[in-house]
Amino acid sequence: MSLLNQALAWLSDPAHWQGSVGIPNRLFEHVLLAGASLAIATLIGLSIGVWIGHTGRHTTIAINSANFGRALPSLAAIAIAQPFTVAIDPDLGFAVYPTIIGMIVLAVPPILVNAYAGVAGVDRDLVEAGRGMGMRERQLLTSVELPLAVPVIAAGMRSAAVQIIATSTLGAIFGFGGLGRYVIDGYARQDNGQIWGGVILVAGLAIATELAFVLLQRRLTPRGLRLQQPRSGAEPEPERELAAA
Amino acid sequence: MRQTRMLALGASVLALISACTTGGGGASPSTGTTVAPPTSASQPSGTPAGQPSGTPGGQKPTVKVGSDGFYEAKLMAEIYAQALENGGYTVERTGIGIGTRSVSAAALDSNQINLKPEYIGSGLGFYAKTDPKCAVASPAASASAAAAPAPAGCTPTGDATANSAALQALLASKGITVLTYSPAVDTNAFVVRQDTATQYSLAKMSDTTAVQDKIKWGLATDCATNALCGAPGGALQSAYGITQKTIDGAKPLSACDQPMVDALKAKTIDLGELCSTQPDIAKNSWVLLADDKSTQPADNLAPLVRDDLLAQVDKTSFEKILNDASAKMDTATLTKLNAQITFDKKDIPVVATQWLKDSGLVK
Amino acid sequence: MNVEWILDHLDDLGYRLVQHIWLAGIAVVVGFVISFTLAILAIRRRSTYGPIIAVSDILYAIPSVAVFVALISVTGISVTTVEVPLVMYTFLIFVRNIVAGFDSVPAEVLEAADGMGYTRWRRLWQVEFPLAVPLIIAGLRLASVSTIALVTVTGILGDSFGGLGYFIFTGYHIGFPTETFFGAIPSILLAVGADVIYVRIQRRATPWAAAARGRLA
Repeated sequence: MSLLNQALAWLSDPAHWQGSVGIPNRLFEHVLLAGASLAIATLIGLSIGVWIGHTGRHTTIAINSANFGRALPSLAAIAIAQPFTVAIDPDLGFAVYPTIIGMIVLAVPPILVNAYAGVAGVDRDLVEAGRGMGMRERQLLTSVELPLAVPVIAAGMRSAAVQIIATSTLGAIFGFGGLGRYVIDGYARQDNGQIWGGVILVAGLAIATELAFVLLQRRLTPRGLRLQQPRSGAEPEPERELAAA
Repeated sequence: MRQTRMLALGASVLALISACTTGGGGASPSTGTTVAPPTSASQPSGTPAGQPSGTPGGQKPTVKVGSDGFYEAKLMAEIYAQALENGGYTVERTGIGIGTRSVSAAALDSNQINLKPEYIGSGLGFYAKTDPKCAVASPAASASAAAAPAPAGCTPTGDATANSAALQALLASKGITVLTYSPAVDTNAFVVRQDTATQYSLAKMSDTTAVQDKIKWGLATDCATNALCGAPGGALQSAYGITQKTIDGAKPLSACDQPMVDALKAKTIDLGELCSTQPDIAKNSWVLLADDKSTQPADNLAPLVRDDLLAQVDKTSFEKILNDASAKMDTATLTKLNAQITFDKKDIPVVATQWLKDSGLVK
Repeated sequence: MNVEWILDHLDDLGYRLVQHIWLAGIAVVVGFVISFTLAILAIRRRSTYGPIIAVSDILYAIPSVAVFVALISVTGISVTTVEVPLVMYTFLIFVRNIVAGFDSVPAEVLEAADGMGYTRWRRLWQVEFPLAVPLIIAGLRLASVSTIALVTVTGILGDSFGGLGYFIFTGYHIGFPTETFFGAIPSILLAVGADVIYVRIQRRATPWAAAARGRLA
């Protein structure tokens, strides 16, 4: 029986959709914790990134720490956090907290960098025009810079979301819940159906998340900008440009 | 949206490819060439150099040793490995610690490894699950004592000799030989802290049935499919009335390893599935709940060796090396060595070498 | 933190570090070669770009742990089981960056080359490629760093792999934070170190971008 068939057989078994280890519950766990991490990461990354982009100060430190965060191996992040979180709470601190910390640490850099690039990349003429019209700094930020930076920021959040899903699967190694558990538990029991069923679920979630963010990006992009975007549908990728810097 | 169309196209391509691949174990794997960094491929530190002893000529085949992931299994594998090296064999250790029994058994089956330490009782239960001869005695059998009698040699018992013979019978068709079993026994141990035992008056496993919802369980990651643990119709469910709900709700942790011990110590679980040779039980004065329904079999250690490896060696001397090592090991010593690994944090190869020297098996 | 244990095991650290670099290096090199070929194909025939990226995207979404453990049943405990997923995860990064690199060559430059009589192949190698280098190096940087991270995950396959991840997994099994950190911290240093080296290489490779860099800094 091919792997695909085994996976589909596993997925279609109604027993797997019930109970605390069932798919709906695990999916809920996964989305809840991933969502929470994304929210926290956005809060941190967005606020720092926007501030740096707007004021233009401390750019090097920010970019360097973002680079550091991006290079950080996720497993190492989770593993390092664990002894500390276990000391705080032996129960949740064993798998849940360290994985959340890992997710946040890896999600902040793309959001931060993109927020910075997005805000800093706004045409200076527009900003000057705003100042000329008498806008105060906060108004400038909210009425001019942020709306124009949205496509780039959304791209960063999309990148962060994908990172988070990948990291949460790693957390399953240490006992973290969510869909990654099917892969780990399936491996422990050599149940190919479970492993690949889990793979389909996680990959599906990752792709669905990415598509959701693509949609969100389009929605949030002010109409004027949307009209400007090149026909090839290429999204702004400031990460690459900054990487080349 | 172009993007969705492309993703859909990509997905269908992948689905087509995977539908055509036959998956599952046993597909011909590439012969495991070990990772080849510039330094030697064997475990660093403590490994005695594999000098052939005396006799030149007579190519000895490479022994591929493997084991489950928990430290005791790795220790036994390392002991066998070093004993063989001392006897002039070349040993590859790629398979040591590759995962749970399911994984290591699959590796043995597919000749990724050709030697691994096994526990004859649990091993019998494991192989009986998938052996067609034992299909009648499958977990579907009811919990009542008057269930259809299992075909002889499919259920592990408290008789070590019987277990060993039964295991051999099942493995004969797979081309695997069970060598002489050791006096050392390591079986599933369900353990609670002293305070939990006092609070709920727990002395034996049957005592837990009534209070199972009140205590927090910690079970091995493969417990749900292990007949000696939480599989449907298995020890916990049929003999002790532990519900599927309890088993699903348990914290899954690596069997016979530190995390389970830590969780029990930290009180994140109240009942943990440990191994009887884990030294932490005695150290913390924990209560090993008596297996009053005798679900845990005589679980002596024995090496499993592939017949095709035995065919290539001088069977008598090869088996003697392994049997001598097994014979010298006993439960108390195993527990003591485990303590060195888990308390003193000594390296497994170092502990193995020291024991082999102390027992006179190796100079 | 058990300092004595750390000092005792420095040679093991060396072994695992070498293993780590070795495993990552193979993946990056092999991945680059395959991706470069795919990228050139994608550039010559634009229609293939979409599907190539789409398939890579989906492969990328599959959690790495899954591919490693799932491959064991097919290719056993071998270097193949380790390298195939590692190489696979580099595709998306490399192909995207290589194609973007070639795309970034201004049209005027291409026309000028054509005007000077360059054949398509000469133009590709002598004009387009050098200008594509910055983005290609950016791709190498991203891929190397993420591959280094992925190698730690291979520790789930047992003692024979894992690179520095071996210590992370073993430390976890034995409940020995010293060992966990012994693996985690060097792996971070390795990844960040590689990143820094690539940034330097990028700077060297694009001296003409130095002025632009001055503005951005």
